[in-house]
Amino acid sequence: MDCAAARPLLLDYQRGRLTGPQHEEVHAHLEHCASCAREEVAERALSEALERRLPQHAAPAGLKRRLAAAHPGPASSSPARLRPWWRGAWIPALAAAVLLMVVALPRLREMPGTGWVGREDGVAVEAVNDHLRLLERGVAVESGGIHQVKPWFAGKLDFAPVIAFAGDAEFPLEGGAVEYFLDRKAAALVYRRRLHHISLFVARAEGLDWPTGPEAVSRRGFNTLAWREGELGYVLVSDVDAHDLAQLAARLGAGGAAGGAKN
Amino acid sequence: MGGDGRTSGRAEIAAHALAYADTLYNLARYLTGGAADAEDLVQETYARAFGAADQYTPGTNLKAWLFRILRNAFLSQYRRQRGNPVVGALDTVDPRVADTPATEWLRDDLELDRLRKVVAGEIEQALLTLTEEGRTVILLDLEGLSEREMAEVMGCAVGTVKSRLARARAALRQRLQDYAR
Repeated sequence: MDCAAARPLLLDYQRGRLTGPQHEEVHAHLEHCASCAREEVAERALSEALERRLPQHAAPAGLKRRLAAAHPGPASSSPARLRPWWRGAWIPALAAAVLLMVVALPRLREMPGTGWVGREDGVAVEAVNDHLRLLERGVAVESGGIHQVKPWFAGKLDFAPVIAFAGDAEFPLEGGAVEYFLDRKAAALVYRRRLHHISLFVARAEGLDWPTGPEAVSRRGFNTLAWREGELGYVLVSDVDAHDLAQLAARLGAGGAAGGAKN
Repeated sequence: MGGDGRTSGRAEIAAHALAYADTLYNLARYLTGGAADAEDLVQETYARAFGAADQYTPGTNLKAWLFRILRNAFLSQYRRQRGNPVVGALDTVDPRVADTPATEWLRDDLELDRLRKVVAGEIEQALLTLTEEGRTVILLDLEGLSEREMAEVMGCAVGTVKSRLARARAALRQRLQDYAR
């Protein structure tokens, strides 16, 4: 491959959009062409400047209020008037729900394949909740590299998290924190993908219905990708698309492509 | 699309569309160049989106669908107001800048260092000098849309997206070079 062929592919190379052989060809060219290698570094620098320093304008609160008033969501879109609570039809529903909890919940806990939360997407739902909580609080330790973050977990967890990926230009590691994942502590690491944050939670998988192979689930507009390595469960969660999550999972050693998505 | 699809498409828009207000507003700010115009454009976008909810295919990329509506709304408004010098000036700029091929200046380490230290105001100003197509493709790429999704938003072929993105990035680098002098 010569410079004329390599230059137009540099962005695709950085974004992981090339086929395996193409990627290898560009990589080999960059190894021995200083000019293209500098160009590749410059393109990365431009991407980083755009992602980190271009101001992001949030919609003003007044605009959001006007939009919400003009386009009420599904919960408030019903034209039904408020009625006294005793005239509602919810009493039979409540009774049925209580009966369901009394009769069915203990069985759900015992059912294989449903996990203790009694639902097959319990890991995904918890991951989304924890991701939002983590974004709100921020990381506890800023990343100076994986060798700074990993030792920080020592003494804070009852297991040693195995994290095979230290971050790179496409998925820089921002930092880490300890979070509760359902009933146990988890190592939480935050990577970045362009303007978006991706949380990785690593926890003991024992007793949870943690998918064995990479399994993609979408919940509330977020994508999750969960897999298991021995006793440890891993789950990625973000608003980036599933392809980006699969790329990060591959770097983390999840192996294989993401499984079929559930919606 | 069947009746169920229409129902679930409308429900999906009702449930999730407002979550994209920030990201739509950000694109609108960079397209219009002003806060008031951006607010108008976002409101127009949502009005069109809810009005055309039956055309949305459930399960597809809602954000990309909203981006397409926003851009079309901007362009139709722009065409209507083409005589308006303010709007006309927004659809920048010197095409010689936009079409500048990949520049050589960054091969100098000092210039690369300069790019690494560029400040927010400079890169924002540089972006605002690009053509509407250039600004849009840069921002959609930043939002993480795939090339196919960007092509759908911009109503062009994937190959056109590639070339527009390459030209826009080259123009940005050229503009940042100008600031460094």
